[in-house]
Amino acid sequence: MAQLTFVGKPIPKKDAPGKVAGEAAYIQDLKVPGMLYGRILYSAYPHAKIVRLDTTKAEKLPGVKAVLTGSTIPPFKFGVYKDNPPLKTGKVCSLRDEIAAVAAVSPEVAQDALGLIEVEYEELPALFDPIEAMKEGALLIHEEHKTNVLKMPWKLIVGDLDAAKKEAAHIVEDTFRTQWVTHCCLGASGCIASFDINNNLTMYSNTQIPYLAQKDFMEALGTFGLKNKKVRIIQSVIGGGFGSKLDTYAYEYLAILLALKTRKPVKILFSREEEFFATSPRQCTITKISHGCTKEGKLLFREMEMILDNGAYTSWGATTPSVMMLPISSLYKVPNVKYTAKCVYTNNTYSQAMRGYGNPQATFAIECSLDQLAEKAGIDPYEFRFMNANEPGETTPQNFKITSCGVKECMEAVKTRLGWTGKRMQKEGRGFGMAALVHVGGGARVYKSDGCGTIIKIDDYGKVDVFTGSSEIGQGSETIVAQIVAEVLGVPIDDINVINNDTDVCPWDVGVHASRTTFVAGNSALGAAQKLREQILDLAAATLNEDPSALDLKGSVIFSKNDKEKKIALGKILRSAHYAPGGKMLVAEYFYDPPNENFDKEFKGNLSVAYAYGAHGVEVEVDKETGQVKIIKYVAAHDVGKAINPMLLEGQIYGGGVMGLGYALSENMVYQNGKIMNPNFLDYKLLTAKDIPPIEAVIIETDEKNGPFGAKGIGEPGLVPTAPAIANAIYDAVGVRIKDLPITPEKVLKALKEKEKR
Amino acid sequence: MLHYDYHKPDSLKEALGLMAQYKDEAVFIAGGTDVMVQIEQRKLKPRALISLRNVVDLKRNEDTTIGAGVTLRELQKNPMIQEHFSALHDAACNLGSIQIRNVATIGGNICTAAPSADTACPLLVLDAKALLVSATGEREVDIDEFFVGPGKTVLRKGEILKEFKIRRFTENTGSVYIKHTRRAAMDLPIVGIAVRITLNRNDVKCRDALCALEPISKIMGYFEDEELKCEDARIAMGVVAPRPIRARHAEAALKGKVLSEKLIAEVSEIAVSEASPRDSVRGEAWYRSEMVKVLVKRGIMKAIERIVRPGEVVYPERLW
Repeated sequence: MAQLTFVGKPIPKKDAPGKVAGEAAYIQDLKVPGMLYGRILYSAYPHAKIVRLDTTKAEKLPGVKAVLTGSTIPPFKFGVYKDNPPLKTGKVCSLRDEIAAVAAVSPEVAQDALGLIEVEYEELPALFDPIEAMKEGALLIHEEHKTNVLKMPWKLIVGDLDAAKKEAAHIVEDTFRTQWVTHCCLGASGCIASFDINNNLTMYSNTQIPYLAQKDFMEALGTFGLKNKKVRIIQSVIGGGFGSKLDTYAYEYLAILLALKTRKPVKILFSREEEFFATSPRQCTITKISHGCTKEGKLLFREMEMILDNGAYTSWGATTPSVMMLPISSLYKVPNVKYTAKCVYTNNTYSQAMRGYGNPQATFAIECSLDQLAEKAGIDPYEFRFMNANEPGETTPQNFKITSCGVKECMEAVKTRLGWTGKRMQKEGRGFGMAALVHVGGGARVYKSDGCGTIIKIDDYGKVDVFTGSSEIGQGSETIVAQIVAEVLGVPIDDINVINNDTDVCPWDVGVHASRTTFVAGNSALGAAQKLREQILDLAAATLNEDPSALDLKGSVIFSKNDKEKKIALGKILRSAHYAPGGKMLVAEYFYDPPNENFDKEFKGNLSVAYAYGAHGVEVEVDKETGQVKIIKYVAAHDVGKAINPMLLEGQIYGGGVMGLGYALSENMVYQNGKIMNPNFLDYKLLTAKDIPPIEAVIIETDEKNGPFGAKGIGEPGLVPTAPAIANAIYDAVGVRIKDLPITPEKVLKALKEKEKR
Repeated sequence: MLHYDYHKPDSLKEALGLMAQYKDEAVFIAGGTDVMVQIEQRKLKPRALISLRNVVDLKRNEDTTIGAGVTLRELQKNPMIQEHFSALHDAACNLGSIQIRNVATIGGNICTAAPSADTACPLLVLDAKALLVSATGEREVDIDEFFVGPGKTVLRKGEILKEFKIRRFTENTGSVYIKHTRRAAMDLPIVGIAVRITLNRNDVKCRDALCALEPISKIMGYFEDEELKCEDARIAMGVVAPRPIRARHAEAALKGKVLSEKLIAEVSEIAVSEASPRDSVRGEAWYRSEMVKVLVKRGIMKAIERIVRPGEVVYPERLW
């Protein structure tokens, strides 16, 4: 590859100075003239009939402009399964059920109005445990659905499981559980809905799926009697997404309905407490897993049965088993696989995508179980993993075509840096653990299109505007896109302006998910930039009397590779084209949709055109008297294809690691009878800077042929193997295996005491 | 909607006068890290806030007097506190975060009277006296009598906590506060334990063993061989009762005795019996009891370490 100027360089995030200086305008900062403030009244019971709902007093409060209830809005349901009305009528199914919405001249008046709404409930028995909800004769959360089990039969079968079980020399079987955790975006949810005189809608939003949200809102407007109206999404600066903003929510539809009713823009902004209880978290899971191997340690089969708490309504959480299938079928070479999963309605909050999209839950069970199997087979857990590791060129049981794969290099890096051989088993109370991961790294075809569009225009002075469909949610896409365009066009990175926040201006993109942005938006930007470069070189070729193929473009100068005297400034050539008779301004567009496949009916197909691998290793020390776990050393090695920006990439690895550490050790939404008991940062133990051990990020480059400059996605992988690596290390240290997350000191101490008794 | 007046008087007299004007329906505010949260949660609806931030009378921070208006950050940075009142210094290093410690005051922490108040246990083991002033005069209250229950103190309406008096202890005295938390910052203790020990001497021969990696039982063995005696002891516990409490029976069991592994184990068990922790989202009762046992033992060891190795290891991240 030719010498690169911008790609591969640790260029600071383009949006960082504005964020640090407080200049960035988040949804919290936005105001529209004449704007009203909306607030939502939530249910007081997890499951109850609404007997009476009286809003008279609230309507009379000075400053209140509209009060909506389920019976005053058009019938409409949203969500993945279309089971969720923005305001509930008849009955409520969870404590986050929206009952009424108010628009008023200030947030305080709106809040006071909520207190004046009178609701009478008749409490119903409720279900909080998915296993109870699955039982025959259990009460129904949604009567019309006839059962509490969602009609989404997740099932993957490959090979001959029975034969493999007979052949296996060693088999382990166990059950693992994971907890509810939430995204903890510093930028809480919010939107402003505003209609123009022709009833076209503008939504100011911090969504991470502007184009799918646009479609959702258009459909909603249709049922509200506004067919064929235009919807424009303008994104504010987004303070984190992590999957929480991957769907449209009741509050957005309520802002739209309140705006329609009042004919004024309406802003709804979540408080931190609402962000905890009224956004959709990563669901808890119960996983039964068994693994078998030959006497020599070759993996023969993997069988997994999973129950997921869907909560009261359905968002993308219900589809996470699709991505769970990825590690289940393709993490390590395992020829025989069976996986089934059931999502179950309960009266809890409803679940949604969160970084890793099911992968952390599945990998926790897989990697803990593998450690158990290695022990049973009498093989060092590292050797066991290495022996069964994936390799480039492999087609996995789910028909994934593995192109680049550096998982073995990742494992070796972890082993060396930890001092696995030699230091392990040396010190009382200290232990080593590791776990690997696979994730989609080349897009993921979960929608009809997995594409992203880019438009690039260049002005008379060589300054570039890039209009991309991809959103910046803090992950660094703006900088990555700018680096790629700067590299191809040979202009300084400061001359690249990325516009990525307006559906009226930018081309389509499916959204920020599946670690796809660097790969898909990167390839799209690359394609557009190359087209523009060709146009520029064609213009210059005529002027310099040289073949375009003999020209190069760097530092905003076009020059001949053969004759250094032949050169012209980029701006000059652009201006001469612009002001020539007939005039010409340069613009290029490109839409990239990766050649990946939707799953077939058997849940098989090449979901992504590249797969990201990695391995994490950890050394822990366990305080046997308090049960506290201290991380001594943490190594995170990732096969990223190519690091377009090593600094941002390390940031993703650190961020993922930190999120993984919280998942492993401390984060837990404590639900009691459907109510979250810790809806604040005091009691929801998100780890702080002081808690985080130094994380050693190791970047393994495998040059992915399908990726922009060889890159693969890295957004999610950083948190996937953390929890099992730590659980394995704790077992190594003190001989107790904690099978339900988070691994709190209480659980460790209790297990240690039970072990002593035995 | 919430409206309140705001005043920022310069003297105690002025502050007390304002409170009288509002017929005690105003609220004193110091750092505001508790009061503002309670207002936001609508648990507190004052007619007025009277800020104590400019009241110089509350800012004394010298020798044996600590003004109620002294911030935790000031305590943290004060070498005198670190040397003589190490337990209080431990608390000041671990309350909230730097941002919170920059504004939160020791007086505010005590007046909020949470069972988890970090400075409460240190003040209890340091035998602090609280000076309360009102328009009609002043009175001194032992800190142990100051707390009544969760959020409740002996402060009367129209009274302000002015300062704490703490006497200087002999050279043979060491103190410690161990805050047991889930997180390393921005957290409340699951259990907080403060210990103050006075020994019969400080020329302990096994001095170096205290910092070595030898097991605790072995070090205790050395103490026993050397007949190291505990002349005086205080043990205070947070989050195990409706208010921070002293473990008086445990203290009595320690006083005048030669230190041994058996004794310290007994003392820890007695402390556990004096605690009545509850289950909550922040911790389970059995675990809190278990931590009382472990941390009383560690606290005693740490206090001894501070006597025999003064100034060397003041706040290691790991205790025993």
